Amino acid sequence: MAHPREGWQGHGAPRKLTRRSFLGRSAGAALALGSLPLLDACASALAGTGSVPLPRPDNPVKWPVFTGNEAIKTGMPREEGATLQVYNWVAYVNQDVVNSFAKKYKCKVEVTTFNTMDEALSKLRSGLQFDVLMGATVDVLGQLIESKLVQPLNHSYVPNITQAWSDFTNPFYDQGWQYTVPYTIYTTGISWRKDLVHENPYTMSNPWAMPWQPKYKGRVAILDDYREGISLGLMKNGIFNLNTTDYRQINAARQALQDLTSLVNVRIDNNDYTEVPTGDTWIHHAWSGDMAAAASYMPKGVNVDVVGYWFPADGRGPVANDTNVVLRSATNPVLAHEYLNYFLDLPNVIENISFNGYMQPLTGVTPQVLVKEQILPPSLLSTIVLPSYFRRGVAELQLPVDVDALWQQAWLVVSNGI
Amino acid sequence: MRRQKKNAFWIALAAPGIIWLIVLFIVPFYAVLAIAMGKLDQLFESPVAVWNPFAWSSENLIDVWRDLFGSAAFAGPILLRTVVYVAIASLLSLAIGYPAAYFVARFAGRRKGLFLVLMVAPFWISYMMRMLAWVDLLQTDGYANKALSWFGISAVNWLGGKPVTVILGLVYGYIPYLILVLYAGLDRIDPALIEAGRDLGLGRVRTFMRITLPLSRQPILTGLLITVLPMLGDYYTNNLLSGAASTSMIGNLIQGQLGTPGLEGQGAVLSMLLLLVLLIPMIYYVIATNRSSQAAS
Repeated sequence: MAHPREGWQGHGAPRKLTRRSFLGRSAGAALALGSLPLLDACASALAGTGSVPLPRPDNPVKWPVFTGNEAIKTGMPREEGATLQVYNWVAYVNQDVVNSFAKKYKCKVEVTTFNTMDEALSKLRSGLQFDVLMGATVDVLGQLIESKLVQPLNHSYVPNITQAWSDFTNPFYDQGWQYTVPYTIYTTGISWRKDLVHENPYTMSNPWAMPWQPKYKGRVAILDDYREGISLGLMKNGIFNLNTTDYRQINAARQALQDLTSLVNVRIDNNDYTEVPTGDTWIHHAWSGDMAAAASYMPKGVNVDVVGYWFPADGRGPVANDTNVVLRSATNPVLAHEYLNYFLDLPNVIENISFNGYMQPLTGVTPQVLVKEQILPPSLLSTIVLPSYFRRGVAELQLPVDVDALWQQAWLVVSNGI
Repeated sequence: MRRQKKNAFWIALAAPGIIWLIVLFIVPFYAVLAIAMGKLDQLFESPVAVWNPFAWSSENLIDVWRDLFGSAAFAGPILLRTVVYVAIASLLSLAIGYPAAYFVARFAGRRKGLFLVLMVAPFWISYMMRMLAWVDLLQTDGYANKALSWFGISAVNWLGGKPVTVILGLVYGYIPYLILVLYAGLDRIDPALIEAGRDLGLGRVRTFMRITLPLSRQPILTGLLITVLPMLGDYYTNNLLSGAASTSMIGNLIQGQLGTPGLEGQGAVLSMLLLLVLLIPMIYYVIATNRSSQAAS
């Protein structure tokens, strides 16, 4: 195992190339040489912004604990009569669970929402104070930790971590779960209307190419997310390195998606959970958690069985998890730890999943339980995320800044229909 | 002395408006400029505003210029598509709005108030809510398709990324502004002028063409300006009624850039460029209004 500090560079190291000049030179060199250079040099150093390492399953990272930003001490009393400030994605937590926490711990909980991780980071950096950040994505952990926006956890306040899958007690992105506990887990696959689409992705040779069918023109949509979008193009082309730094592969993925626009006039949105149930979209690049909630959006008289969700049976597809963290600005750090702990307790987790559809990686959250509790219809068992997916699946992780620009630029071109 | 006091009174009266303008227009405008000409935070890939003009960087400006007009330009076609959509939507709005405003101004009689209320009614509901209502109406099993089915017409996939849906959405969203402005202008036309035309032997059509239409040129210009400006920057009509890449407008590109870490600076530049382009019709409007005032006096 590589040392977590490998690839680290000095803070504030000057960049040699601007984003755009990097793009220009890469493309220029490629044209001049007739073969595009792999940008793996960037990835080999595994340094994202010149100072933050890029966690990978084969390059796990143990983040440093900075002086002045240590974990709270053990055995501290809980804050009395406090108002816990929670910062979370829109509609990403069951308010009933939040209320039951408030009742149990005799406190108030205020949930403020954000729409994008970028927005959340901007507001946190601007000085907005919260106790807990829910749903922090793995790709921004470096930024959160490096800028000391989050505080290390005191594990004694989070005993329910024992209920989580073992993978998450020592994840590659935060060795020793120093700063994070797992929140939701999900896969990215293809959702389709079985009654309107003749093909079954489970019998197709390349199900990732399912959207590329002109006969479904106007009925196909892909997720509005630059990583998910370009990744779909990559997988359609048979590339499963979803953190590729190869300009040729990114370019080919972009071209595939542009072809998709030409073929089916693809829509780009994140309304998979409503559009497929209503039948407005017949094939949608989709998130498992969204499709798990499809039953709530079915029109009157239409059975949820007509909605399908495909994810590779061998688990070789995009899989991800979000995390919960305690912010450094927390004025109620003990309560914040207990909040994290509360969302790792099986009954609360089951209730939470019943609202937002997204699974949480607890050993007690099994397909049988989800079906028994009528949270998941049997026809959508494929939305379930299994522990093995995190070993066999592919994750979209933080990219080196300059490579990230390649992905973003490619997506801008795709999403604007050029 | 008295004159000075009078001047001070008017300055004091204008002060709140001027302060309002400085705080809510000039300061934000300069902030956008500082981001457009600013730098990039390497850790967060977020823009860093540079307030000192002597430290400004032209990197974002050059990037946007390349995107618009360079050899690998991708933003040019989006700009062209936007202009086409807005032009069609504006002409449609005019074709629909002018007769409506003309009717209310000239023939509504005692029911003028009622019609005015009906015209203003859409303003009581937010633009986004009205668009969301259309999403319901236009979906596959929505009322629009149900109505078509009564005539034996098969269901249309209105929300499947059709330019016509986006253009009609723009027309629906902005036409009330146009009608109100047109009504205000047409209502001010002295009926005596029209009567004079008729007395001199002009038919209805020629009276309209030779008197009413020339006199309504200024309201048409104002109305078009008021609708074209927000249409050019609109992004959520396309987001809600299409969502397809093939109908993306310049507002969507700016929104995409502003929502993408590392590209916010370019989004700011594009916003500024759009503002500069929009200044052209605004300047023309000011000149035309001045000319019209001078001619009238």
